[in-house]
Amino acid sequence: MTLSDLHALLPQLILALGATGILMVGAWWPSRAPWVLTGVALSFCAAISAGIVLPTVTEVGGMFGVTPYARFFTILWSILTGLTLLLSLRYAKVHRFAGAEYTALVLFAGAGMSLLSAASSLVGLFLGLETFTLVLYILIAFNRGEAIGAEAGLKYLVMGAVATGFLAFGIALIYASSGSFHLPEAMHGLQIDGQMRPLGLLGWAMLLVAIGFKVSLVPFHLWTPDVYQGAPAPVTGLLATGAKGAMFAALIPLFAALGTLTLELNAVLAALAMLSMVGGTLAALPQRNLKRMLAYSSVVHMGYLLLGLMSGGPDGQRAVIFYLIVYGIATLGAFGVITSFAQADGEPQDYETFRGLGYRHPRRCSALSAFLLSLAGIPPLAGFFGKFGIFHAALKSNHHLLALVGILAALVSVSYYLRPIIVLFMQERPAQRLRPGCTHEFAVLTVCFSLVLYLGLYPGPLLELISQILPSP
Amino acid sequence: MATVLFYLLGLVTVIATLLAITRRNPVHAVIYLVNSFFALALLFYLLGAPLVAAWEVIIYAGAIMVLFLFIIMMLELAPTPEADRMGPTWWQWLPVLLLALALVGCTLMLIGVDAGVAQGVPRWYATPRDFGFALFGKYALAVEVVSFQLLFAAVGAFYVGKPERKRRQKKEEGA
Repeated sequence: MTLSDLHALLPQLILALGATGILMVGAWWPSRAPWVLTGVALSFCAAISAGIVLPTVTEVGGMFGVTPYARFFTILWSILTGLTLLLSLRYAKVHRFAGAEYTALVLFAGAGMSLLSAASSLVGLFLGLETFTLVLYILIAFNRGEAIGAEAGLKYLVMGAVATGFLAFGIALIYASSGSFHLPEAMHGLQIDGQMRPLGLLGWAMLLVAIGFKVSLVPFHLWTPDVYQGAPAPVTGLLATGAKGAMFAALIPLFAALGTLTLELNAVLAALAMLSMVGGTLAALPQRNLKRMLAYSSVVHMGYLLLGLMSGGPDGQRAVIFYLIVYGIATLGAFGVITSFAQADGEPQDYETFRGLGYRHPRRCSALSAFLLSLAGIPPLAGFFGKFGIFHAALKSNHHLLALVGILAALVSVSYYLRPIIVLFMQERPAQRLRPGCTHEFAVLTVCFSLVLYLGLYPGPLLELISQILPSP
Repeated sequence: MATVLFYLLGLVTVIATLLAITRRNPVHAVIYLVNSFFALALLFYLLGAPLVAAWEVIIYAGAIMVLFLFIIMMLELAPTPEADRMGPTWWQWLPVLLLALALVGCTLMLIGVDAGVAQGVPRWYATPRDFGFALFGKYALAVEVVSFQLLFAAVGAFYVGKPERKRRQKKEEGA
């Protein structure tokens, strides 16, 4: 470790050391709002430093890259961390969270996500993934008073531990086969006579199981609805956007390094994508609970992302990154609305509590509708361009059947996304007033809402930026 | 000979682990796991990593498993049913005995066939010094990340396990 290495890791250091500092000082000075606000400030500091402090090296410790690609995601996850904390300010007060601990954990999760997206070796991938998974185990069960939260935490812990076992085993097998942890050598080394070594194939099978668990692809998705439902809403937002997005951000260089060997995995990947799109859609249709519906719909979205990943090439990669950004914004917004309605005795999740709420709380309910419509991919909103990019890339790389299934799934998805909107605005029974929102929550929702609109109308600048930061093939 | 030893030890590891995860009594499970760790340690030795073998015994079998036993006994997670008060039955202690005997046999065989002593230290043998340099030089960042993780895991476990504040309980009782 040299000074230039530390300099290159500045954003992650701000997040991780900031978290530790808050934890330490928080032990003597327990308080809530000031710590959460400090956390917000620290995460925006990290985002700014990732943007303007240019690194002098391209890789740190042979594990984490400091490329523009890594920096882009560092900025993204730092901002996400900041928004999550801002969103939790009131939620933490209502639920009597310990402010310093909560802030520190969320900040550290942000550091883990940015490490995972920056991973340039399989060791880095493992470390980054474990960093935020470990924190999420705790954050999911953070609401100590509620049994459902503890249940969700335990489910995620057990499933996550099994997935970690698979991940470690897979990485070990790939290392045994190629003799390197570093990307792209670790993947190039798997090749023998244009085919993948059997040991490498076994390693990749284990890796795919672990990835399937972490991003919840069918048939590894069973934990998703329970964890989404049981976790505190801001944490669910972080889990649904950052945790899954960071995993995909790490998968893009991994698949790029694999090159033509991807063809050998295509059958399995296609099956996973197809099952996720079909299974997620079928499971989301009968849901009457907003969080569970979003959980199953996230499974479908992960199927789309996997389809984009399979398509490969700059087109596919750009589509995946764009998609996970717009999906992240809309999902964060949707969970933000749920957070802002949350009261001490629970969060409104059943459609029954939302009935007719659109006239009581028009601003937040309109925002929620916009987020849901964006997730469904209705044209003027950002989600449309995301889906368009994915299907375009899939058709271009001859995944016709999968693209067709994806388009059908997107059409059917309109049905389950419209149902809560109908409940909100078109059903008569005047609902009870829920909690009035506060300024911080409105600020976050405004940011998400304007981004969903802006990226739907002018996706060009972001797409241009993504093209520039793509890892070179 | 080394190949035979390898498969023998592999078999012992797998059997001991399978027995460990299928036992209902946590203390029995821990004992089988210790067996499995011993077999793993011998495997590491066989692969030319005596340092890892020593740690496997000292840290995993020695420290961590003793901690497990300690916690199981402290929290009384393995209450003995009345029927078992007379001590374990033969089908409970025989597998452990067989596995332990197999391990002792393997160790003796290993001492007999150890080529490393005759040929000098093998090329891939990592001294504690080499290992330390790799750990705190090349992988220093990984060590730092892991230590951060452990810190936050400890904080989280403390937070989740801590009982709710008394003031709140009083409030609820009063209400």
